[in-house]
Amino acid sequence: MRFNTLSEMQIDALRETGSIGAGHAATALSQLVGHAISIDVPTLEVLDVGEVPELFGGPETLVAGVHVRLLGDVGGSMLFLAERASALALVDLMHARPVGTARAFSADEEALVTHVASILMSAYLAAIGRLADVSLLPARPSSTLDMAGAIVQAVTSDAALRADVALLLKTRFYDADTSVDAYLFFLPDPAGLGVLLGRLGVA
Amino acid sequence: MSEASALLRDLAQALDPTHFIVGVGEIACAREPEVLVTQALGSCVGVALWDPRLRIGGLAHVMLPAASCSAATGKRHRFADIAIPDLVERMVDMGAGPRRIVAKLAGGASMFRGESGIDTIGDRNVAAVRDQLERAGVPIVVEETGGSHARTIELSTATGILLVRSYTYGIHEI
Repeated sequence: MRFNTLSEMQIDALRETGSIGAGHAATALSQLVGHAISIDVPTLEVLDVGEVPELFGGPETLVAGVHVRLLGDVGGSMLFLAERASALALVDLMHARPVGTARAFSADEEALVTHVASILMSAYLAAIGRLADVSLLPARPSSTLDMAGAIVQAVTSDAALRADVALLLKTRFYDADTSVDAYLFFLPDPAGLGVLLGRLGVA
Repeated sequence: MSEASALLRDLAQALDPTHFIVGVGEIACAREPEVLVTQALGSCVGVALWDPRLRIGGLAHVMLPAASCSAATGKRHRFADIAIPDLVERMVDMGAGPRRIVAKLAGGASMFRGESGIDTIGDRNVAAVRDQLERAGVPIVVEETGGSHARTIELSTATGILLVRSYTYGIHEI
């Protein structure tokens, strides 16, 4: 089972799962910060991992990244990426203050972005797990702020042992005043993806 | 690589013809005065080879230790055990003396803070590169590997100097 052979129907099923996960993550984040935050997954696409840095304008672009390894019935990785400016805007969104308030990506900002990404990934994995009746557990998240190309390489060098393409869920966080775009990459190993799609009834 | 990024790379090289960008999982050789560049090394290792007499340089952007690591399709020069023998051979074809070639290494970082289980990829890449260079009889004169930050490197074929750039430590020469 490989990503680049997925049908429209399979992609729709995965996108629907993404939307459900995003809805649950929005509820969790709203509870956490005490005001309403919404999350959409406007697009889901399959792409070659080599193309990922191009989404950010080149391999040296500074981005915030949060990585978790997947444990349970489906192995692989999840990676959350946001451009530095978007990661800072996300921090402001969580604090319900004007974008531009957070200026430096220091330890506090990194911890908050890691927390938000971790909730999003957990909610997405729980949604897939519930629909497909599989156990999908995220390992402890780890984070960095550095060149997009290097972050993607580090994750895919690990995933390359099994996979060379990624499922991208473009993710938009917003409230009444602010909208922030981020990227969530799902890299299940090929065997795990086969199990998942079989359980979703679209294999 | 997408069409747009290939176009951007061609454009960058047209504007600065002395700089040649070596992509992830690729190798390239050049003569003085060209500069070989590879960007955003994370867990990957940049291997810069140089013949000081003829001023011929070679650069590899190694992603994984060995071809046996991955059955997935992709660039064959992403593996240390293919990239390094091929790079040495190409340099020798250009006239470089196999006993004169020396190596400088950079990269092999652990990009993520915290526990994720992928911290050893960079170390394994560095070990594989050292092993392949030893087999090829190429001595390592200096290396800047490990740490937790990304690096971009530039090899000057005229001087053999390797420029290392990072967001964390700025620019320096090794």
